Order: sequence, then C-alpha cells, then structure tokens
Amino acid sequence: MTLTLLEGAVLVFVVGCALGAALLKDTLAAVMAFAAYSLGVSVLWLILQAPDVGLTEAAVGAGIMTVLFLLALSNTSSPDVDRLLEPVRWRTVALVGGFALLIGVTVPALPAIGDPGSAVAGGEVTQYYLENAYAETEVRNAVTAVLAAYRGFDTLGEGVVVFAAVVVALSVLRREVVA
Amino acid sequence: MTTVRFVAPFILTFALFVMFHGADSPGGGFQGGVIAGSVVMMLAFAYGIDSTRRWLDVRAVPALASGGVFVFVGIGLGAMALGGQFLQYAEYEALFSHAIKYGIELVELGIGAIVAGVAIGLFFLLATGFDHITEEETT
Repeated sequence: MTLTLLEGAVLVFVVGCALGAALLKDTLAAVMAFAAYSLGVSVLWLILQAPDVGLTEAAVGAGIMTVLFLLALSNTSSPDVDRLLEPVRWRTVALVGGFALLIGVTVPALPAIGDPGSAVAGGEVTQYYLENAYAETEVRNAVTAVLAAYRGFDTLGEGVVVFAAVVVALSVLRREVVA
Repeated sequence: MTTVRFVAPFILTFALFVMFHGADSPGGGFQGGVIAGSVVMMLAFAYGIDSTRRWLDVRAVPALASGGVFVFVGIGLGAMALGGQFLQYAEYEALFSHAIKYGIELVELGIGAIVAGVAIGLFFLLATGFDHITEEETT
C-alpha cells in the first residue's frame, strides 16, 4: 500500500485530531479538535472518491455537530481547567490500543483505492447500477439513483428515523428547559 | 450583519442547488438540508437568537420536518394509488413525462425539508437555554 504525501498528511492530521479530542482536558478544545477531525475525515472521503459522503461529513460532522456541541457547552458550567491533558488510565490505553490494533490488522486486506478487481467494483450489483441507473431513472449520480429510487424505502426509513429522533429530543429538552 | 444579509440568499440558493442537482452531481437532500439549516444558524449568530426565533415563527420548524415526511410518504402512496408499488415512480409517467427524475427530485426535496427542520429545531432547542430570559413558547 503506497500513500501519496497528501493522503499521509491527512491521515496524520485525522489521527492527531482524534487523539486531541480524546485527551484534551478542556471541553471546548476537545470539541474544536473533534470538528477538525470531521473536516479531515471529509477530505479522506474525497480522496476515497466518495464526494457524497464527504459533503455530508463536512456539513453535519464539522458544521452542525460543532454548533450543537458549542450550544450544549454554553448551557453547562465548565470547571476550571488546571492541566492540558486528561489523566490517562493504562487499562483504557490497553483496551483502546488493542481495539485499534485489531482493526489495523484488517487494513492490508482491503483492496487498493479504485482497484477494478475488488469485490465492490466488480460485483454484479454494482455493475447493474452503473450500467442501468441512468436508463432507468434518468439521474446521472448513481448514488442518488440508488438512494432515492432503488433503495427508496430504506431512505424513507432513514428520514423517519431522523425525524423521530428530533421529536424525542424535542419532548425531552423542552421539559428540561421549562423546569 | 451586512455580510450575513448579503450572503444568506446565496447560501440558500446553494442549498437548493445541492438538493436538486444532487441527481446529477454529488449532493442530495441530506446535505442540502443541512446547508439550508445553517443559513438560519448564521442569521441567528448575526441578528440574535431571539429575534431570529420571532422572525421565523417556531411552529414552522416542526411543520417543515413533518411536511418532508408527508411529501416522501405521499409520493410513495401516490404510486400505490395509481396501481404500482410503493415509491414506484414510473407509475407517474402517465401524468407527466420524466416522472422518475422528478419523483426523485421531489423526494430529495422532502428529505431536505426533514433535515433542515431537524437541524433548525435542535439549534433553537439548545439555544433557548442560552439566555435564560427567553420565555419558552407554549404551543
């Protein structure tokens, strides 16, 4: 697996931001590190040639989520920060490190970016969508065709889940605000 | 404030572009809806959260979100009413041409409405505690 300079830089940036979000003691700094992490991940999606996901990650992860986190922070009182980093317990490090190692072992098994022989790109279903999506739906973005036409029912479920989540949040938070 | 007033219509247009043009380029209802929601947040930062709430009429926000769900389900059930299956856009072909494409666009718009409503709603909900002088709206 070879990395270009850009890919390597973004990967280092993302991992650094993730560590910052996990370790920084100051909550505001952690939220900012998390926003930067989301931005880095959205660039990663672009590198992986998934602009739809990248756009979502940038708008939701780096944009809306950060605003909501900041608003939630401003509603709470934050204790004085006496140190830069969170104290680290070795048990946690061992657990997280072991998990990261476990995930990391699977990475070399992934196909290279854009590999035509990979199971996803060469699969029968993918080929069907790529060949027939425009003829059947008159939509050039195959992602949209799958999202709204072939898998329309799933997308409806997704929309309703988002809607239901906000209804629950509304009913809970409204009570909190009144009390 | 001047910048926000100047930029807001362009961002809203961009949001609609992402929603509609999601059929032919990256984007779609989810992304466009978030961008549309961020316009309201930007207005709130510039003009104050309370005046934005008053200007927008908070009841419009859940109406937007549930309206999106209704549009989506309505298109699905409409296809059934015409004798097809749920969300089978081709059934609308009898009524107007390019029905599949426009059906998808409408569904994307519905998703955009849901997401924008959700984003704005959550923002206002969290922002109400922001300055405690704001009296809670009773509907």
